[in-house]
Amino acid sequence: VPNRVFRSSIAGRFDDYDGSGTQTRINWELRFARSGVGAIISAWCGVDRRGFIVPGYASIESDDRIPFWGELGKRVHERGCKYVLQLAHGGRQRDIGGIEFANGLSSTGKSDPLHGFPAERATPEQLRRVVTAFGAAAHRAREAGLDGVEIHGANGYLFTQFLSSAINDRDDDYGGSLENRARLLLDTVRAIRQQVGDDFHLQVKISVREDNDAFLFWLRDGNTVDESVQVCRWLEEAGADAIHVSAGTTFPHPLNPAGDLPLRDVRDNYDGLISSGSAAFRNYVLYRLPVVNRLMQKRWSRPRDEVEGMNLDESRTVKKAVSIPVLCTGGFQTASVVRKALTDGDCDAVTIARPLVANPNLLELWQAGHDRPPRPCTFSNKCLYNLLESPLGCYDESRFDSREEMLQEIYSVYESA
Amino acid sequence: VTNAAIFEPLRFRTFEVKNRVFRSSLAGRFNDYDGMGTQIHKNWDLKFARGGVGAIISSNAPVHPRGLIVPNYAHIDRDETVPFWRDLVQRVHEHDCKYIVQLAFSGRQRDLGGIQFEKGWSSTDKREPIHGLECERMTKAQIDELVRCFAQGARRAREAGADGIEVHGCNGYLITQFLSSAINDRQDEYGGSLENRARFALEVVRAIRAEVGPDYHLQFKITAVDYGKDLFPWWKKGTTLEESIQVCKWLEEAGVDAFHVSSGNSFPHPRNPAGGFPVEDVVRGYDTMISSGRHTFRNFLIFKTWPANKLFRWAWERAAKDQVEGINLGDTRAVKEAVSVPVLCTGGFQTATVVADAIERGDCDGVTIGRPLIANPNLVQLWQSGVDTPPKPCTYSNKCLINQLENPLGCYDESRFDSREEMVREILTVYDPPEFAG
Repeated sequence: VPNRVFRSSIAGRFDDYDGSGTQTRINWELRFARSGVGAIISAWCGVDRRGFIVPGYASIESDDRIPFWGELGKRVHERGCKYVLQLAHGGRQRDIGGIEFANGLSSTGKSDPLHGFPAERATPEQLRRVVTAFGAAAHRAREAGLDGVEIHGANGYLFTQFLSSAINDRDDDYGGSLENRARLLLDTVRAIRQQVGDDFHLQVKISVREDNDAFLFWLRDGNTVDESVQVCRWLEEAGADAIHVSAGTTFPHPLNPAGDLPLRDVRDNYDGLISSGSAAFRNYVLYRLPVVNRLMQKRWSRPRDEVEGMNLDESRTVKKAVSIPVLCTGGFQTASVVRKALTDGDCDAVTIARPLVANPNLLELWQAGHDRPPRPCTFSNKCLYNLLESPLGCYDESRFDSREEMLQEIYSVYESA
Repeated sequence: VTNAAIFEPLRFRTFEVKNRVFRSSLAGRFNDYDGMGTQIHKNWDLKFARGGVGAIISSNAPVHPRGLIVPNYAHIDRDETVPFWRDLVQRVHEHDCKYIVQLAFSGRQRDLGGIQFEKGWSSTDKREPIHGLECERMTKAQIDELVRCFAQGARRAREAGADGIEVHGCNGYLITQFLSSAINDRQDEYGGSLENRARFALEVVRAIRAEVGPDYHLQFKITAVDYGKDLFPWWKKGTTLEESIQVCKWLEEAGVDAFHVSSGNSFPHPRNPAGGFPVEDVVRGYDTMISSGRHTFRNFLIFKTWPANKLFRWAWERAAKDQVEGINLGDTRAVKEAVSVPVLCTGGFQTATVVADAIERGDCDGVTIGRPLIANPNLVQLWQSGVDTPPKPCTYSNKCLINQLENPLGCYDESRFDSREEMVREILTVYDPPEFAG
């Protein structure tokens, strides 16, 4: 990778309902490739249809998806940028599950506590099929000429649902001890290695700090950092080439993406989720009640100046324990902060999402001598909540001269380069 | 009984349609958020071209981005959209099927207005009554601008090689908002008398004629009767059949080549699409509209709560009763008697003898079909093979309509399929082939 900055995974409902990719997705990715990031980690990319989290994200569930990813990889490579495909399975955490499957597979049969998304406890046979699906997906990524894959083992999706002691309630080979909880992920790493051979890049993203009780305080807190570090060691042994450090047992989570809880944007976009989970209507009503939502906001949000680099401690801990490169995510947009993290050995590279949505040319700005962009990302998290119903982009009007300018910027994704 | 009348060509002033069956306007959210058309939209329309209809009337195509109903329909609001329409039209023509672009503007009836414009434009500044969708009253300058947008939309359709255009003048969208005495509350030259209420529609038609010339097909879809009291008897009745007939006469003088008769001054309306009010699907699909209007949260609670939802359903389904197929034939016949251009009729057609009889009786010159073609895209071929009603007919459950807000347009009535899996498979066929097929 030509430098130490990765575009982190960020989705946007730019693709077809069934997961076939579109020109708009290519436009979106090229925006970052052009501006000089060393590598792009793709959007959340489903390996199996039952595991999709929202319709309209490009998938890699079958061979007929290869031409799209091949074209995307080619165009990104033309700009000297690497491309890593994020292989993912949502488990029960399906914000909008779509018409095909009434519930998601999980370690548990319990619904998720925040929205009440329904779950079905996966049988060992179903889990073996999931592992096979990851292997086949990695093989397709290689066929498409991409530079590597990232297993999405973080942020509350399927692998977190197994790894986390706060969620996994199984008493078979996939639950109980840490070794058992890590089995699905480690089997997946091995299956991918078997499919793609030794000479294809495979990294794993993991929530090192879980804080499962960060919002719903009555829940258990989940894995300790020590446990996560142990999992990282096992991942290295099983053949992972790099670790990507994130946080939280759900997505979103107060730790990720950290910052504001923009309640108006949440409410206006959350309405479409009411039919997704048994607790979602209750949540929607709560979002409409001013007193309650101020309390929610207090518990969820984090001061904006405490966001950047908030995972660096955990990243450093992982880095000391493994001998493969470690990537760290979490609000990076200040050149000196990133430089210090690298020289201190906290991580080998940073991955950036929201600040790049705000300033796709962040690297050019750094190269031109800016320490921070003149109009930095505010961590308002409006990008995240608006993407359910509207095109992904920066929705913080305070960063623009006018609402029109903001809209123009958002719509520019529809122009082919 | 013979259904030969269905298969006689229909001669318009500028071209001929091979039979009397039109795919009526049907929109799914298959396109980009900014209104650029996609491969999926082409796949959708081609289903019907292959199934043997004589012509396709496009989905609701906004002539200006403020006029969208929901995001992700294909627009015709800028020249960059022309290549999409051109390719689509060419592909449809390969099946010996004509293509008519429906030029539309939603006005205040914007179910999901999108991020660009907070409010719709309308004849009035009163909220749309069902969902409480906000709007602003158009100024004279805005009216003039929009008239030009319709004309430019028509020019783009012509440049794309489409066989003609249809002005969407019905179902509660902007032109209805001017025509309807139940909605239009203006004091200026665009409101009050019938002549004034019809002024906007006539200006649109004349501007289109001036732009595309005399040799291009221009049809007008009109709500023959508002039926404003169908849902709630305390609402205003709205435009009458006699008034609409007068408007049609004026429109014909202004250069309209054909009329397309529908009903109701809102969309949806108990008479259009007439049939079921599928409460469970409504609860699942309507949630996404809650942030759209002032009454939407209240409505959602009604739809969610027994017995309020049963009462609403009763009120909704009462208007059409069982007379779904051919529900507009009486009104259409009245229009046809008053004008000398061809008249098309919409409303649940799926029985060959019903259609053939309507044509032979002179109720209409052709029929346009929406839902029954979703259920059976090969309906015309079934008729041709001698079938009177398809073995698995459309049930008028209206689940297609409700589901299209959040899901791909298609038939969602499980009772028509052997299994849910079969239904879902059928729905997802529209994505084949994808944009990047290799």
